[in-house]
Amino acid sequence: MEKLNSHFLKLCLFIFVSFFVSSVSFGQRTVSGTITDAETGDPLIGANVIITGTSTGTITDLDGNYSLSVPDDAVTLSISYTGFTEQIAPITGDVVNVALSAGQILDEVVVVGYGAVKKSDATGAVVGVTEEDFNKGVVVSPEQLIQGRAAGVQITTASGEPGAGASIRIRGAGSIRNGNNPLFVVDGVPLNGSSSTGGGNDAGLGSSSARNPLNFLNPQDIASIDILKDASATAIYGSRGANGVVLITTKKGSGQKNKIDYSFNLGFSNITKKYDLLNADEFLDAYAQFNGQAAAASLDGGADTDWQAEILRTAITQGHNIAFSGSTDAGNYRLSFGVHDQEGIIKESGFQRYTGRFNAEQRFLNDRLTIASQITLAQTKDDNVPITDNSGFRGDLMGNALKLNPTLPVRDSNGELVQPSQTEYNPVAILELSEDYTNTLRGLGNVSAEYKLTNNLSFKSLIGFDRSFSSRNSAFSRDLNAAGIINKGRLYMNDIQINDRLWENYFSYNNTFGAANLSAVLGYSYQQFNYYTKGFEMTNFNTADPLLMINNIASANISGGNAIVPTNSSNTTDELQSYFTRVNLGIADKYIFTGTLRTDGSTRFGDNNRYGLFPSLAFKWRLIDEAFIPDLFSDLGLRIGYGVTGNQEIPYNLFQPRSRYSGWDINEGGDVNGGGLNAVSFANDDLKWETTTQINLGLDFGFMNNRLSGSVDVYRKNTNDLLLQIVSAQPSPQPFRWENLDADIINNGVELALNYVAVDISKFSWDINFNIARNINTIQNYKGINDTGGINGQGLTGAFAQRIQEGQPLYAFFLREFGGFDAEGISIYPNGDKQEFVGAQPIPTLSLGLTNSFSFGNVDFNFFFNGQFGHHIYSNTANAFFTAGSLANGRNVTKDVVGNGESNLNAPDVSTRFLERGDFLRLQNANLGYTFETGSLPFSNLRVFLTGQNLFLWTQYSGQDPEVDTNKSLNGIPSVGIDYTAYPRARTFTLGVNVGF
Amino acid sequence: MIKFKYLTFSFLLVGLISLNYSCTDLNVDPTDSIVSEGGSGFIPGDPGELLASSYKDLGSFTDQNNMYALGTHVTDEMIPPTRGVDWGDNGVWRTLHAHNWDATHTSVLGAWNSLHGNAYKTNEIIASGPNAEQEAEARFLRAFFMYHAMDFFGQVPFREVTEGPDVDPKVLSRSEAFDFIVNDLETAVANLPSIGPSATNSRASKAAAYFLLAKLHLNKGVYKASDPVGPYSFEAADMNKVIEYVDLIASEGYSLDADYFNIFTANASPEIIFTSAEGSAQNRWMMTLHYDQNPSGWNGFATLADFYNKFQEPDQRLGQDPALDGSDFGGIGRGFLKGQQYNSNGEPLTDTRSQKSLQFTEDVPLAGAATEKGIRVIKYHPADAGQYIFMRYADAHLMKAEAIQRGGSSSSSALDLVNELREARGANALSSLSDDDLLDERGRELYWEGYRRTDMVRFGKFAGTWHEKSVTDDFRVLYPIPATALSSNPNLVQNPGY
Repeated sequence: MEKLNSHFLKLCLFIFVSFFVSSVSFGQRTVSGTITDAETGDPLIGANVIITGTSTGTITDLDGNYSLSVPDDAVTLSISYTGFTEQIAPITGDVVNVALSAGQILDEVVVVGYGAVKKSDATGAVVGVTEEDFNKGVVVSPEQLIQGRAAGVQITTASGEPGAGASIRIRGAGSIRNGNNPLFVVDGVPLNGSSSTGGGNDAGLGSSSARNPLNFLNPQDIASIDILKDASATAIYGSRGANGVVLITTKKGSGQKNKIDYSFNLGFSNITKKYDLLNADEFLDAYAQFNGQAAAASLDGGADTDWQAEILRTAITQGHNIAFSGSTDAGNYRLSFGVHDQEGIIKESGFQRYTGRFNAEQRFLNDRLTIASQITLAQTKDDNVPITDNSGFRGDLMGNALKLNPTLPVRDSNGELVQPSQTEYNPVAILELSEDYTNTLRGLGNVSAEYKLTNNLSFKSLIGFDRSFSSRNSAFSRDLNAAGIINKGRLYMNDIQINDRLWENYFSYNNTFGAANLSAVLGYSYQQFNYYTKGFEMTNFNTADPLLMINNIASANISGGNAIVPTNSSNTTDELQSYFTRVNLGIADKYIFTGTLRTDGSTRFGDNNRYGLFPSLAFKWRLIDEAFIPDLFSDLGLRIGYGVTGNQEIPYNLFQPRSRYSGWDINEGGDVNGGGLNAVSFANDDLKWETTTQINLGLDFGFMNNRLSGSVDVYRKNTNDLLLQIVSAQPSPQPFRWENLDADIINNGVELALNYVAVDISKFSWDINFNIARNINTIQNYKGINDTGGINGQGLTGAFAQRIQEGQPLYAFFLREFGGFDAEGISIYPNGDKQEFVGAQPIPTLSLGLTNSFSFGNVDFNFFFNGQFGHHIYSNTANAFFTAGSLANGRNVTKDVVGNGESNLNAPDVSTRFLERGDFLRLQNANLGYTFETGSLPFSNLRVFLTGQNLFLWTQYSGQDPEVDTNKSLNGIPSVGIDYTAYPRARTFTLGVNVGF
Repeated sequence: MIKFKYLTFSFLLVGLISLNYSCTDLNVDPTDSIVSEGGSGFIPGDPGELLASSYKDLGSFTDQNNMYALGTHVTDEMIPPTRGVDWGDNGVWRTLHAHNWDATHTSVLGAWNSLHGNAYKTNEIIASGPNAEQEAEARFLRAFFMYHAMDFFGQVPFREVTEGPDVDPKVLSRSEAFDFIVNDLETAVANLPSIGPSATNSRASKAAAYFLLAKLHLNKGVYKASDPVGPYSFEAADMNKVIEYVDLIASEGYSLDADYFNIFTANASPEIIFTSAEGSAQNRWMMTLHYDQNPSGWNGFATLADFYNKFQEPDQRLGQDPALDGSDFGGIGRGFLKGQQYNSNGEPLTDTRSQKSLQFTEDVPLAGAATEKGIRVIKYHPADAGQYIFMRYADAHLMKAEAIQRGGSSSSSALDLVNELREARGANALSSLSDDDLLDERGRELYWEGYRRTDMVRFGKFAGTWHEKSVTDDFRVLYPIPATALSSNPNLVQNPGY
């Protein structure tokens, strides 16, 4: 690491020296002229006039005139203007006049699944985000690249943990249970929605959620991410299209030259905000107010410890990426390697990733046959710390860092860790006396052959695979004074394997008949998903060394019995067989029709519903090509689409009557439970997918030669046949069964995306990108009631904060209305000691993103704001720890608890007291870069940059960060918007350099 | 050109062949679970294994919630105070004690699901070809689970094993359920083994069936009442049956134990009729002991001062002082723990959170209780606890006394029987016996054993008031049908009042 740093410094020095010596002058003369619009003859104001091949230039004045001093050896001028075709004019004399003609508007291509279309021809609601618009800095998984960048795509990472899981909601949530994330398709291979790494079960400290399954993809390998939002676009993915589809395309080799690109970045992260806790003196004073000075004195450990600071650090992240690429007339290749080594801001936590990727494409037989392959191999290591979702009154690592008596020292005078009791843990001891990591090896790839049968018809066959091996080891030393661990130790070993295979075959046809253009796709797809897990739990260790526990498991002394149990294993295989077709018909370039049909057969459905049919229709009217549209517009198109899609993300085989032996567990007392043979599913031949019907109306527009462009979309999404675990009518062999309910979840929304080129003159440009989306969600025709949002902590057994009920938005808060404290300091509930809907919901109803990009010559600068509004956050952290009762029990609290009028005998029940507005606006990303003139340097490009992430946050939320989503699910019903000792978020500064050879 | 066409053709062929070969019938055999072939019908299991599993289900009664909570927290013998940040638990305990629970109460749902799920399993045993004794045991267990369901909820849904999950179970009225349960027990008793007293009496026996039959007939006036809130009339014929069944228990070799707290240890006792081998009595001490005692408890439930004051010295049942001899758990007394508490070496304990000396007090509020409030109760002692007891002879003995009091004929008088028990407990004899005296005596003998509610209902005291309980809704003699159960089975009708 030190060696690396010194190399980096030398490189920086070199770069800056070269920057200062690069300006050299020659003989000069002056050229002037006028730049006009070729069509109208009007002068163009602010057109760029640059000496070709340099950055020297000027802009035209109010009359379209310019004057520029040019070196004697200059031959041509390059003249450009937004929306016009760039012209290169020879310097024929002292006066060079140029008439520019309005150019073809640059037409982006968007990937739509089994093909790509020009953005202007896309009939559905589709957003493409390319590399230049990606979020920069320390980015672990691909969806973080587009967080806030696309209207209607809401991405919330669960916490600040490196590689934390994320919830991605495209146009709101349509399902009550799990399975609201979109389908991810990487280079044509749809990924399964399962976790590739295990969640944790951390002894008495609670359990934690799995990390993001997309962490294995190196964001630096990604060229573009396209998001299919409406049903007319996603219907091509049928039973997996209901939540939207995210298509990830990786980089290919390009250009005629072989190229080496290297980039390096070094990031520094620090916590943005610690909880404002009492220090030792304040704590003793506050405690004495409840229990008297004598009691306070007996509690005083004599130190003043900031337990949060004890577990936090400045975290360093470094990344190296190198790519070799090139292309010829007949093909291209790109080989890349990446290293990402990230420390978490909590000590001992982190994430490491080593990736290799090989993408290649070669054409044979006069370009009729194309063989292509994209393969990636990733080795990741998650270093976990016991920050959990559901720790009880003892708290997890973070909980203890918040609540532990601040007068206690970390270590006693002998250097031994102070470990107060089996309810109050020393967080430093937790870190030092535990070891928890996950190693995952994952390979994803495909090989395809495409053959042009005729000039209009081609056939493509693609074989894909996704294979992953993951192993998690969590060891807690017998020296850790914690319930169920002390003098015994505890080890969990959990493996997960994924083995998915894909085979797709499809024909593509494209032809023109007079004014009509027809393109079509017809294909077959088969995908198999295999998921295997196994786990063990061990105790009674002879050794106190957590690493030895993991690497020499025979150190568990089984002679006393009950020292090792199989927690369980499972092995499930699912198949998906599909036929699909899409027809695009364009008439006179004005009227474009798209029809899609997919039929999916899935082993997840019952016998009576093996196959589902998912149709869609869309129409686009390119109004801009109609004569009656005023010249004011440079683009205008109206889109309307309708489609039916499904959600088949349901657990394995719920339609056959099956039994399994339940997992074993060693409880805190050391007793072993489990192993009973239990029914896990009933016969239900009617079981099927959830159905989502969506109608979308969109308008694409552009003004001033698309200097201002954008689109507006309005949609209504109705999800029916909700698949839920419902209560069986007792008596029954099991309390629940699965059924499709005739209830509706409605999402209504509006999205607006705008792009404005505010300034585009020589050496200075300013681009503004803005998106905003509003989504309103309601449950209708639902007869049941489901409680979720389980609240943990002392005296909170059975507590919950959210209820699913008809007429409410999903996950609406269901709480006691809090009315302050009475004279005795006991909570007042004006509406009674009962829970009710309080008109608050956790899902933002409004979200926006705003990017400003500037370039000044070689300097570029951009900053990006992301905001979410209209929602509330429930702080389980405050509910569990920041109360007078907790303080009176000798636990630390935030400063606002002191003197808040609460009695130490008050029960802090679940109420609006702990509910806060979640609105926030965040300066998420700011980048400053400098691109060097590489003329005299041995590089083809060289850029240095500085990126800041999470620079500023405007919010009323009193917790660590309002973007938080701890998993507080109850009975399989997920929760949203609850904060419980979440891993804190960091502010990160990254320095980096990109070099190309 | 010909060559090209040939190539085209061959590619099409390859494409089509591959299409055919890749087609799947989408039948994947599960490799990690046992599939019951033949669709939705009932598949018989091994009756012995199923029976063993059913006995394990009895462990659910040892929890401090669900059946136990519904049987005790709602009465005058137990209070679940909210102690600052402890035991708020979303109000589940407070609402039980204050009698303002509703149909979404988690203990109500928990008991409903647990009892009916367990009852269904006994149906599976009976349908799996058991031998005569296994069938008798299954019928006894079914009666045991259904008895509790009938007692708590009145109506009892019933599903045959041949009825799949799509069938809405039929619902037996309380009166029909009573007849069903009595019939099960009467059918079972002949084939049940005759087992004498034992501290590990965890198998169904004749005595256990007699005990449950006695209990059913003693409460028949309640269960057969046209209005669940009463008035209840007790027929002499039923009372005679109670007496008959209790005498049958005695003839199986059961009698009163002279050492009251011996009953709850692992030692032999002539009283123990039926226990659970699954689970342990641990929750009974954990739910009441303070966290600074050893074992470190949850500092939860206490008894009410008025209940404690129903006792008069001398009475063995009031308790025993702790050993204070340095032995494991030697700091914990038996019976009612009041005043200063000590560690096993006899040193006074201090509350580590408040740093005050640990003295349990008589007074205890329902909400905002300090950590030391309330008298704690220990029947099973952590040093020597035996199996968790469902049925013991003293209860039967008092049932007989009550049956005589309510018009049954016997050579002994109710007062004689009560005084016989009091003598065994070292208490002074009573000179007369009112109904209230009988209820009080049952309380003194059977406190915290899980059945106070049934007694208070039978004596018409359940809608009365006591400390921190002012609600006098008489409809609360029945619990509501849980809201989720109601929406899952249209044959259920919510109990009156809810």
